[in-house]
Amino acid sequence: MCARCGGPLAPELDLFAALGLARRLVVEPTELERRYHDLGRRIHPDRFASSSAAVKEASLQGTALLTRAYRVLRDPMSRGLYWLELHGEKLADNNKQVPAELAALVFEVQEQLAELREAQDRSASEPLAEAIRAWRAEVQAAMEQAREELGANFASWDEGRAEAANLLPNLKATLAKIAYLRTLLRDIDRELEPPVLSG
Amino acid sequence: MSRIFGIDLGTTNSLIAMMDGDTPRIIRDPHTGAALLPSVVALGPNGVLAVGARAVELEGELTDGNQPLASDSPSTEVCVIRSIKRYMGLGGDDLAPEERRRYPFAELSGPLVRFRIRERVYNPPQISGEILRALKARAEAACGEAVEKVVITVPAYFNDGQRQATKDAGRLAGLEVVRLVNEPTAASLAYGLGNMTSGKVAVYDLGGGTFDISILSIKEGIFEVLATNGDTHLGGDDMDQALVDLIMRALPEELRHERGVWTKARTAAESAKCQLSDAPSARIKLELAGHQIDLTLSREEFEKMIDRLVARTMERCRMALKDAGLRTQDVDAVVLVGGATRVPLVSRRVAELFGRQPLCSLDPDLVVAMGAAVQASVLMGKQGDMLLLDVVPLSLGIETMGGVMERLIHRNTTIPTSVKEKFTTAVDKQTYVDVHVVQGERELAGDCRSLARFKLGPIQPQPAGVPRIEVTFMIDANGILNVAARDERTGLEHSVDVKPSYGLTEEEIERLLEEAIDHGEQDLEQRLLIAARNDAEQILSAFSKQSNEYPELIEPKERTRSEAAAQRLSAVLSGQDRESITRLTEELNELTTPFAQRIMEQAIKQALQQKSVDEIAD
Repeated sequence: MCARCGGPLAPELDLFAALGLARRLVVEPTELERRYHDLGRRIHPDRFASSSAAVKEASLQGTALLTRAYRVLRDPMSRGLYWLELHGEKLADNNKQVPAELAALVFEVQEQLAELREAQDRSASEPLAEAIRAWRAEVQAAMEQAREELGANFASWDEGRAEAANLLPNLKATLAKIAYLRTLLRDIDRELEPPVLSG
Repeated sequence: MSRIFGIDLGTTNSLIAMMDGDTPRIIRDPHTGAALLPSVVALGPNGVLAVGARAVELEGELTDGNQPLASDSPSTEVCVIRSIKRYMGLGGDDLAPEERRRYPFAELSGPLVRFRIRERVYNPPQISGEILRALKARAEAACGEAVEKVVITVPAYFNDGQRQATKDAGRLAGLEVVRLVNEPTAASLAYGLGNMTSGKVAVYDLGGGTFDISILSIKEGIFEVLATNGDTHLGGDDMDQALVDLIMRALPEELRHERGVWTKARTAAESAKCQLSDAPSARIKLELAGHQIDLTLSREEFEKMIDRLVARTMERCRMALKDAGLRTQDVDAVVLVGGATRVPLVSRRVAELFGRQPLCSLDPDLVVAMGAAVQASVLMGKQGDMLLLDVVPLSLGIETMGGVMERLIHRNTTIPTSVKEKFTTAVDKQTYVDVHVVQGERELAGDCRSLARFKLGPIQPQPAGVPRIEVTFMIDANGILNVAARDERTGLEHSVDVKPSYGLTEEEIERLLEEAIDHGEQDLEQRLLIAARNDAEQILSAFSKQSNEYPELIEPKERTRSEAAAQRLSAVLSGQDRESITRLTEELNELTTPFAQRIMEQAIKQALQQKSVDEIAD
């Protein structure tokens, strides 16, 4: 049970504990890195090159868990998703539904992207690309705002106001928004600068 | 503990190094003083004729079976193979057209490239193994001690199969490969040693046959790779080839396939390339098949010829920076590694891209081997706080319905890393599930590289979807995949027989080791005995060290039994009975496993105890 919200917890998934952290959503990046490096120095397989097979295996497993914990907790978005998972929730697999407050923005951007895609002559479509760049800034601003919302949500959890403030549904909605904006930004960038295929 | 040596197994040249106190030192040939061993192997119908400088001499003498011959059978008794690294762990389809054409005696149709010389067949790990063997002999002669354990460097962008092939080469040479280290990362260790600065470093490594770019974050002895990218078929060899093509164009068509022409042209090309690094122009003057060639080439013309090659590396640099989440101005230092970075155009382009002068204070030919020696000493526990955290260069996934690649581990994930995936059956009473593991960045599994296939099972016949098998994909610190499976319901471990798509199977390696007996080399049984003794010594010393260091973690009964087992093992250790040594080693390993796990848990706990009191109270 989660001490804060009374929800179920999956103990084997506790990535906070793997890094020796209390279960708090607001994480200080330098502190996180310090712990990761510190633990890594102690348990990494390179420290046990001449140990028995069992110790090597334990070190390998421990380090794999450690790197996973660091990777998941370092990024606020993935940390939030992990928090949902801890509370038995997750984002819908197919995140196609446009969050209501983003509808107007998304509609406008998609339309312009479609137009650019259809434009045969890339040089003549330069004004269009310019307009999309301006929209990109708007999307970026919406992203910044969503990130701030996420930060506020995190802080509220840590203050223990989960029940009162409806934090779980809020967290889910904010994460959905960020996921959506992320996809949108990627679509824009792909259209503006087609990626080079890697071998 | 026996010493670990560092090896740079290069496309063009290979080196072996060791730590001399706190400084890495390249071990030179005791007779000639040479640091570089040319990665060239001469093969005859009865086996290996020569490796290194002598093989290069033979190449010069030969009437040459190496050039693209009009007829398809080599008519000479000697075949000389260069750049074997470009063939490691690959099938014929993976090769560039130039590589396919290069050796008329190569068999390219199988899953793995092989070279057939009369009745003998050689695979790339065997040939690389010969280079490793020569390095081992050099170091043993120079240092007067046995070389058994090594760190070998590989291009960061090497895939699983290429890494596995490198490990196989080590085994075939009678070496224990303690660790594979990525070349650019090794170079950063050599630069970082004794100079523990913090910051973001880009390592640009253009070798004979491969290109890597790695972006690292260095902080208090932790060398953390943020992203890596590269091309395992791009290097100084390709610049030489551009010049060979130029020379060939000066030769009448019908003479181009004459014996010895290609080898001579290549030697002239390489020397012209080197001249152009220092001089504004180079003269290529030689006699080919009775025809006089006399060309003068300016550096500018040469740069035009290789501009596209260099541009390809710049594109890879941008991709790596993007994956690292950095802009060029965030990079605090750029390091040049690999002989091909001596070409002025290369360092100029690198300087332009990163907006700063690259560092090359350590010899670009030696720095990777020096770094391998540093990592070897880290593994021997001699470098205090130094630790290397590398990444997997290519995404790893499985083929799902419709041939789509489902990504399980993304490229540039820090290793070791593991991911668990659940599998079930699609039809009633299905007793096996097939799993196909692929590596690459494309959407369709068919466009990615096949790593391995395996069957899960036998599963008890049940309705479709009922069985639950959890498969763990673990990429170890060498960047090599290991697979384990467990039945969720019964908790039973499944054995997973992974069939590598391109690598050598365990049986093939055993067979090759057995064949080595025919070569009149070390007896196989003797070699296995040595390996068994090494394993035994390792666990004995680990156990005695640990039971002294952590007496509180071992229960009295456990100690009595383990010590008795250790004594039994010590008693047979110097004898010839390999089976007893192996059996008792396993017994001791099993008995001490719970103890070992407690030590690991305590190490983790101790680290956790450093957290502040209020956090614990929380």
